[in-house]
Amino acid sequence: MNKDFSVVGKSLVREDGLEKITGRAMFADDYKFDGMLHSAMLRIPATHAAINSIDFSAVINNPSVKAIITSQDVPASKKIGIIKNDQPVFCDEKVVTPGDVLAMILGEDENELRELVKSIKVDYTALPTLTNPAKALEETALLIHPEFGTNLICHHPLHKGDVEKGFADSDEILEQVYTTQTIEHAYIEPEAVIALPIDNGGVKIIGSIQNPFSARRIVCNVLNLPPEKVHVVQAQLGGSFGGKDDNMCMLSSRATVAALKAKCPVKIRYTREESILESYKRHPYILKYKVGFSKSGKIKAMKIDLLADGGAYCSMSPFVTWRSVVQATGPYAIENVHTDVRAVYTNNPYTGAMRGFGSPQPIFAQESIMDEIAVRVGITPDEIRRRNGLKLGSVTSTGQTLRDHDVNLIPVLDKACAFTNFASKWNEYKNKQEELNGYIFDQPIFKDEQFIQPEKLIKKGIGLAVSFRGCSLGAEGLDQSSCFVSIQPDGKIVMLSGLAENGQGLRMTLIMSAAEVLGVSSEKITFLESDTSKMDDSGPTVASRGTLMGAAAAKNACDLLLEKLENVVRVEFKVDDSDFISFRENLVLSRKKGAITKFDDVVKLASQKGIDLSVIGRYKSPDVSWDEHSGQGDAYFTYVYGCQVAEVSVNTGTGEVYLNKITAVHDPGTVINRLGAIGQVYGGVTQGSGYGILEEVTSEDGMIRELNFDQYLIPTAKDIDEIKPLFLEGEEKYGAWGAKSLGEPTLELGAAAIANAVCNALGKRFYNLPLNLEEVLLGRKLRPQDLKRGSL
Amino acid sequence: MIDLKCEVLTPNSLAEALQYLANNNEYTKILAGGTDVIVGKTQGSKRFIDSNVLVDINRISEIRGIEENDCSISIGAATTLGEICNNKIVGEKLPLLKKAASMVGSQQIRNRATIAGNFVNNAPCADTVPALLVYDTSIEIKSHNSERIISLQEFLKGPYQTQLQKEELVTRIIISQKEQNYFGEFYKLGRRRAVAISRLTLAVLIALKEKQILDIKIASGAVTPIGTRFPKLEEFAKGKIMTDVLCKNIAKKMGEEVLGVTGLRWSSAYKLPVVQQMFYQLLKGIER
Repeated sequence: MNKDFSVVGKSLVREDGLEKITGRAMFADDYKFDGMLHSAMLRIPATHAAINSIDFSAVINNPSVKAIITSQDVPASKKIGIIKNDQPVFCDEKVVTPGDVLAMILGEDENELRELVKSIKVDYTALPTLTNPAKALEETALLIHPEFGTNLICHHPLHKGDVEKGFADSDEILEQVYTTQTIEHAYIEPEAVIALPIDNGGVKIIGSIQNPFSARRIVCNVLNLPPEKVHVVQAQLGGSFGGKDDNMCMLSSRATVAALKAKCPVKIRYTREESILESYKRHPYILKYKVGFSKSGKIKAMKIDLLADGGAYCSMSPFVTWRSVVQATGPYAIENVHTDVRAVYTNNPYTGAMRGFGSPQPIFAQESIMDEIAVRVGITPDEIRRRNGLKLGSVTSTGQTLRDHDVNLIPVLDKACAFTNFASKWNEYKNKQEELNGYIFDQPIFKDEQFIQPEKLIKKGIGLAVSFRGCSLGAEGLDQSSCFVSIQPDGKIVMLSGLAENGQGLRMTLIMSAAEVLGVSSEKITFLESDTSKMDDSGPTVASRGTLMGAAAAKNACDLLLEKLENVVRVEFKVDDSDFISFRENLVLSRKKGAITKFDDVVKLASQKGIDLSVIGRYKSPDVSWDEHSGQGDAYFTYVYGCQVAEVSVNTGTGEVYLNKITAVHDPGTVINRLGAIGQVYGGVTQGSGYGILEEVTSEDGMIRELNFDQYLIPTAKDIDEIKPLFLEGEEKYGAWGAKSLGEPTLELGAAAIANAVCNALGKRFYNLPLNLEEVLLGRKLRPQDLKRGSL
Repeated sequence: MIDLKCEVLTPNSLAEALQYLANNNEYTKILAGGTDVIVGKTQGSKRFIDSNVLVDINRISEIRGIEENDCSISIGAATTLGEICNNKIVGEKLPLLKKAASMVGSQQIRNRATIAGNFVNNAPCADTVPALLVYDTSIEIKSHNSERIISLQEFLKGPYQTQLQKEELVTRIIISQKEQNYFGEFYKLGRRRAVAISRLTLAVLIALKEKQILDIKIASGAVTPIGTRFPKLEEFAKGKIMTDVLCKNIAKKMGEEVLGVTGLRWSSAYKLPVVQQMFYQLLKGIER
């Protein structure tokens, strides 16, 4: 970029950094109020059951129990959902997954409540369960929600060209089936929320809430209150990754129902076990790919069938799977495409939004099959991507012609390959692949030839994955944002955004954007507490849209302020129209006169003249289009491109995969806070690695095994040797100075790149995530037969 | 906030601690680093859930620290794994113990967890146990009116069971200085590189003359119901010449022994090949 920035692109420490590292930051559970009651949830150890009756007699007269809250206390909507109202606030008829809550009790002593809730007797009849998504659409399948008449949550078809003709024109056809696993967001802070009744009959909510406006909308429905009587304040958020949306709407609903009934503040906070038990997860997918290609590796046709397990509730499944249908082919220009993506109900834990949002699953499949095709036609993985990759003017599978932005797929690929010396390493390791002596369990004791000579124990591999990612919401819905900026008479600036700080550093990005426009140092700018009653709804803080939509609105707000200040300068300092005024480093300069005055002094003058220096800036995304029947349209108004290269060492004796180096090349448009951008890469790559080799929520008839981090393993700092972020800052006309998206692209590529690297090391391909010890050594997963643990 | 629902006693001397143990009942548990007790209570483990008195032994200086004399190295039971990792005597004389201790949990856990705490619960995956077993470790156990020294192997009865009586406390770990020149290796396999419960641990200590095995001590953890030595295997190897064929044969025999003890379990399909392969690798590493 050739822009002459003074703040944008620098590495600045976040405004909330000091308070967080010194422990002063207030998270939801840190808030305490006089007369506040705690709560405990009533659940039953069943995956699917009809509730016959609940006997509260054990607690009803207990002085420690101040109130019992059930479905009968819910004033209006008894079921909620971001898209579809299918999740009961309190289950009074049946439970459809083990996290379901039947009722809650309130009292002063949380530990006592947790004991007391166990004494409530629930008479229920266990029902047959449906836990295999592949059977959910069979005619004989039981229905999770009989009122819908089907277990199908949604179906997104896509048809482009003629796949049958494409297959007929192909030299070779490859078909594979892949599976990806359920994973947990693993935010460090479990859910917490406090509801406080307020004098006008309304309620205030303080919580670890990712999207305060979503929580407000749902609570309004549950309580039948207008928006002005429900205001939601976001506490500092201890991680979210898309995971504090539906569940926090649910907890906000329960807490407000309870607070209004008990007429006092009510806090709900979850233990880690409750959090993992009840909160939604990443969708596991079954992915079937059929690809036709020519001898030169040109893809002629792709037929894709994806099935997502939505679990017990709809949640975000329709949007998650919509992103999948748009991106399922990967960033390749293919003439003939036929895709079907379906999400179904089962009795499994429900699945919803998680960083990546329907992209990591197809990327694993499509990048695996591209590598496999490369080997078949005898070219390197980078070369097959060059031959098929999207370029300026290419048409995507949704029929969208890519224009108006830097289509930087090949440049990020080339940069990553040059930096890692990819092709030569890939060929070198490929030549060292050896036939592995398969272990046959019928003969548990080794034959001599099964012992590996020590120097051959560790095999090295290199693999890559590329992606394109539609920025922001696309055709999911209305896409706009607002930002309030007010310059105080002393020259200090306060700002507020309708988008939320989720720990990703959004506030600092917006502060830096404002500082850039107004030519002031970022220390002059303070962010106000996020509160739904003080700011317009700017849509959810999801889809890597915070910087794109938020910074654009902040820049627009500051541009309006700058115009006002410039007018004051022209009048007061007699700067004629032919001269050019600029604001830099807390000064006001003119091209002819040099430094004229200080920023603070202009503000003072403007204030004395009664000029209003408070504005709201807005940004609305350009139009997109979508046809639901054909799956064709301009799905997103712009895209970002990324390439990650994984270099691994595989222990052929144990199946351990060690990550020596991950090189992450991304085009996020213009980088605003370089430190924040690098942090996104480190975090995203680590999270993606966990998806690739470690993490999996497993369940036995719907009951989750890994309810805490002793069993649910995420990567530690010792599990990845080096992460190298590299940015290729493309030109873009949208957003603030062309700043686009980075958060999710950093996560979506890792698992695919690692799987390709392991294949390069071993010459053996893996189709089922994660590539844990057993998968790599035996080619399958091993699980205990039950949920028992020896240590308990 | 975790509510332990127990009384915590904090004796300042060993005598005081032993008196507390004598006065209390089966619901009394000893608290050292707390990395098992607190987690176990929170998880509702049946080994800890009913305990209502915890005797905190952290303030007792008599059972901390590492000492060396002509015939033995003595480690206080409440010495932390962190202290063991950083101790010069352990580093020089007991390198397998240092390596095993350094691979337990994280730095934060090692700063709290104690050496005796690692084996008094006799979890099959206790990382230091195979290392201590190949060093022929003895332990000193005291009560208000008794004192005994037994071998660690004898102390470890069965999964989560030991010889420790309710009024007793493990006070010291004693490792005799060897007259022969032993060297060896410790190996741990976990699902990740830190804060990992071991899937397999192996320890081997060997005395060689040229290529002849004068003596060998072999132990494993996490693949058998408790950490254990392999006397039959040791007898088989003793006196033989260290060759590639022998390494393979010993490794296969270990596979047979593990299979004999555990039978086929859900994890055998993974653990049996890995124990043979990695024990072979360990021996090959020593051979060279």
